Amino acid sequence: MSDVLAIPALAVAGTDLALEAQAVTASGVALTLEAPASRWSLRARTAQALSGVIGRAVPARIGETLDGIACLGPDEWLADLPAGTALPDGAGQPVSVVDISARGVVIRVEGAGAATVLSSGCPLDLDRFAVGRATRTVFETVEVILWRESATVFRVFVWRSFAPWLWHALKAAERG
Amino acid sequence: MLLIHCPYCEEDRPEVEFVYGGEAHIARPLDPATLSDEEWEHYLYIRRNPRGRHHERWRHTHGCGRFFNAVRDTVSDRFEQTYKAGEPRK
Repeated sequence: MSDVLAIPALAVAGTDLALEAQAVTASGVALTLEAPASRWSLRARTAQALSGVIGRAVPARIGETLDGIACLGPDEWLADLPAGTALPDGAGQPVSVVDISARGVVIRVEGAGAATVLSSGCPLDLDRFAVGRATRTVFETVEVILWRESATVFRVFVWRSFAPWLWHALKAAERG
Repeated sequence: MLLIHCPYCEEDRPEVEFVYGGEAHIARPLDPATLSDEEWEHYLYIRRNPRGRHHERWRHTHGCGRFFNAVRDTVSDRFEQTYKAGEPRK
């Protein structure tokens, strides 16, 4: 587990990816690379079946979030939990619990103009994307998962290899 | 931008999140080995290609990931309705 969690921090902060780990602020919007966390891709036919295996409540409707777990599709959830959190693997049961902690990173977009910055590349209507919702969508051609934490804070989950490009695209967007 | 209603997300979402999946309601033959070449060709390649109302599959790739069916007018590009995979032809 600790090995897996170490990978994002090393590679993303490394010079080869040219990603700065500190916040970048211009025009009142801050970009921050979030610390590694324990993330899981969860698949099951129903929310109840999944909930029974992992021992946590999960949201039943697509787009909703509950205690760090987002419902992405009719049979798919994303868990974003504190680093080191373990989940039962559900062996022998019709569920899939996969650790994806090393798959991606999370860029935090924070500030009064956060929605405007994201709208430079994301086609979703962010005015109608309520606080506490999460969904898979795109930024330009890059697939991301967008999680609205508050009116002014968006979390952008992106696969590692796309992260440097996304980071610079967001930086360019916030400079207008 | 064209908005497409995803029957699973129950939302109108931007077209770029979706991928077109060809004509809908084409069932795979239950026993392909018994088909003649003509029947197999018909299953693989022959499509209605109508001018107007067209039943087609779409996938909400950059969203919930699900395939669903849509009725779209091929002249106006207007989506009449969308419905979940497995539901009868509308």
